[in-house]
Amino acid sequence: MGEDNLDTRWLAELTEQSQDLNSDALRITREALVEYGQQEPVRRWWQRGGAVAGLAGGAALLGMSRAAAASSDDIQALQTAASIENLAVSVYTTAAGLSFIKDGNKTVAAFITKTTQQHQAHAQAFNAAATQAGGKAQNSPDPKYDAVVKQKLPSIKTPADVVALAITLEDVAAQTYTKNVSQVSDAQLRKLFASVAPVEAQHRSVLLAVQALLAGNDASLIAIPTDVAKLPAAAGSVGFPDAFYPTSMASPITEGAVQ
Amino acid sequence: MSTPKGGWELPISEGELSRLTSDLDQAHRDYLPRMHAAAAEHIEELRDTRPGEAGLPRLAGRSRRGFLLGTGGVVAAMALAACSSSTKNAVSAPASSAGSMSGSASASSGGTYTGDLQIVALATALENQAVGAYGAALAAAKAGKLGTVPPAVATFATTAMSQHADHAKAWNAILTGAGKPAITDVPLSNQPATLKALGAATSAGDVAKLALELENQAAQTYLYATYSVSSAGGISTAASIAPVEAMHAAILNFVLGQYPVPDDFLPVDKAASPSLLTV
Repeated sequence: MGEDNLDTRWLAELTEQSQDLNSDALRITREALVEYGQQEPVRRWWQRGGAVAGLAGGAALLGMSRAAAASSDDIQALQTAASIENLAVSVYTTAAGLSFIKDGNKTVAAFITKTTQQHQAHAQAFNAAATQAGGKAQNSPDPKYDAVVKQKLPSIKTPADVVALAITLEDVAAQTYTKNVSQVSDAQLRKLFASVAPVEAQHRSVLLAVQALLAGNDASLIAIPTDVAKLPAAAGSVGFPDAFYPTSMASPITEGAVQ
Repeated sequence: MSTPKGGWELPISEGELSRLTSDLDQAHRDYLPRMHAAAAEHIEELRDTRPGEAGLPRLAGRSRRGFLLGTGGVVAAMALAACSSSTKNAVSAPASSAGSMSGSASASSGGTYTGDLQIVALATALENQAVGAYGAALAAAKAGKLGTVPPAVATFATTAMSQHADHAKAWNAILTGAGKPAITDVPLSNQPATLKALGAATSAGDVAKLALELENQAAQTYLYATYSVSSAGGISTAASIAPVEAMHAAILNFVLGQYPVPDDFLPVDKAASPSLLTV
């Protein structure tokens, strides 16, 4: 499209359509409260065969013929998710090689190793779903946060710096997938995003606790098992600051889509 | 940039405008389920604060949610779990021990929950169960029944309980918004066993193990809900709460000396079945 200019009449038509859509949406939302209680009963989940027990990460998704159900938006969301995972893997891999991580707190180093593996699994699951839906796999990092990482990497000098950067990435991932649950078009994709978001939230929770302990000069308590009696009171709550997981920092579905 | 047909030079490319329009559409669609849930909650708040209807004084311009989140949150949340009467009395009820938490139905009108609302009712009951369990644990700790309780564990229980109370309100807002009665106690068939386990706890570790079971059960139930209910409000509510319960579980695992993020993908093997519901 380049720098093509627009016909203002076309723009006015688009604006009018947008207003119509908004009016329709508001009406539907008002009706939704009533409709909520009038829906047909869904099948109980213990009557759904392997649907309950069958979730084993992305593997469950791969076993289902759902390509036809996915939309282009779904594919973009999956690719963006994969791009976020790719960036996380890259950052954690880089962090693992830093001397103050490699030769530092053993629990932090082990967490980074395990978390890297988990993000790799997530990337594979998102890409598998994208390709099964007819899209391309995304093997590149999220461009927006890749730029942020590149900007911050030179200033990373301590474990606390690594933890702060990782918290940001985990939070973006968790927020994005939490939002994606409500954006994708079918239940199997909701399952995938909803099964990954809590894991990223757990990563963030651990990192927030580690960050607090580092800030309080309690690095010796970053251990499994830890000395629970010596943990500061704040360590009990710092890991879950929100009653509802926010989505204000969620990445748009197009952010990391394959171009 | 040349002058367009309409004579107005737009300082943005068509591609950029298309992307912005796409983002706007995306934001719009994301907002709808939140608006839905917020509207449902607003209805409940209006009902709760309507003078005379429930025998409750108006909360001086503050919603009951605000009250729960404020300084009275802990006591109010404990009362919410302990009270076996209607929602209308929950806020003003005194704090109570686990002994008053019944497994009976609290729905004042004896309404049934079907379809999506059955899962929402289950979620509400699970949240009430968690609030009650943490409240009972804090009461036991205060009474010296759990030995020395580490400060971090006490802070965890207090904060997690408050968040579960918020979750219960969110789920109840969906129920009441759909014209169904709120659930204010624990109509679950496993509640007696939970109370028994709580009563047998003699240490903070015992309580943490029980809490971990409740948190895992809640998180996994909501994961299941995200792909099992059809309502946009139910899906978005489940999606925003499941990660928080998982975070609770992560900290509990850490406190118990276990790896805090044990699963690559959250499973559903510990999800609660709606057959647990007694209403």
